[in-house]
Amino acid sequence: MADDDYDDMDMGYEDEPPEPEIEEGAEEDLENNKNDELTGDPLEADDKEEEQPVQRPRKTSKYMTKYERARILGTRALQISMNAPVMVELEGETDPLEIAMKELRERKIPFTIRRYLPDGSYEDWGVDELIVEDSWKRQVGGD
Amino acid sequence: MFFHIVLERNMQLHPRYFGRNLRENLVSKLMKDVEGTCSGRHGFVVAVTGIENIGKGLIRDGTGFVTFPVKYQCVVFRPFKGEILEAVVTMVNKMGFFAEAGPVQIFVSNHLIPDDMEFQSGDMPNYTTSDGSVKIQKDSEVRLKIIGTRVDATEIFCIGTIKDDFLGVINDPATV
Repeated sequence: MADDDYDDMDMGYEDEPPEPEIEEGAEEDLENNKNDELTGDPLEADDKEEEQPVQRPRKTSKYMTKYERARILGTRALQISMNAPVMVELEGETDPLEIAMKELRERKIPFTIRRYLPDGSYEDWGVDELIVEDSWKRQVGGD
Repeated sequence: MFFHIVLERNMQLHPRYFGRNLRENLVSKLMKDVEGTCSGRHGFVVAVTGIENIGKGLIRDGTGFVTFPVKYQCVVFRPFKGEILEAVVTMVNKMGFFAEAGPVQIFVSNHLIPDDMEFQSGDMPNYTTSDGSVKIQKDSEVRLKIIGTRVDATEIFCIGTIKDDFLGVINDPATV
């Protein structure tokens, strides 16, 4: 009996996970991870070809929520205000938020929304796939 | 010793670099950022030779920046204990002399210089044999053996010796 216990302890010791290696940029990673936890659903840039195959059919709503819309418009307006190239033809607009709204209307915002589900899995939806249906026309002042 | 390895780095890209040239901008920023840097683990990054792949970007909240995980191939230089190197002498004093092999500083103490070489002070301090046939001064090229390395997170410093067979001056600027 005592021997068994001893063996078990030995096994446990062998199973100890290897020490994590500290590499360059580890600190940066940590910080990034922290940010990820704070922000619910990170937006994703869609500037490259889709690599991951579409697995199961997606089951979340095909409508963009007002929270997603707010975050996309805010992020995109911030980027435009920081000199990001504008994806639409401008007709005299200068306000970044107005330009972001125009991009959203023309489905030219190069983002992917990663919707995290309660079990930790996620679905990726391109902004151009989602149906934007709410009061934005009123806010923009009609189209 | 030089190695050709694959490293990964998370690059933060400013929104002004978006658009059709995003990848090119990312690569040039990567080169600017990593070439010439030193990590204790891999040594000095000498040059980026290629990009393995650029992962999906992640938009950082609040800043509008996008983080891309970039895998790149690069040439790194890492000195090892026992390695033989050729180096250029940069400073000579009575404690020994400093030499440089590329980005690495190497110190050779006077205990690790052959006993028949004596320190000569003056405006061009040097180590000379008694018959004057061999002279180590600034800009001399020496072949030395690394006997110790101190590896910090951002710096590598070495201790070398020339007290061994086939080590010592290989090209003396004064005699050329």
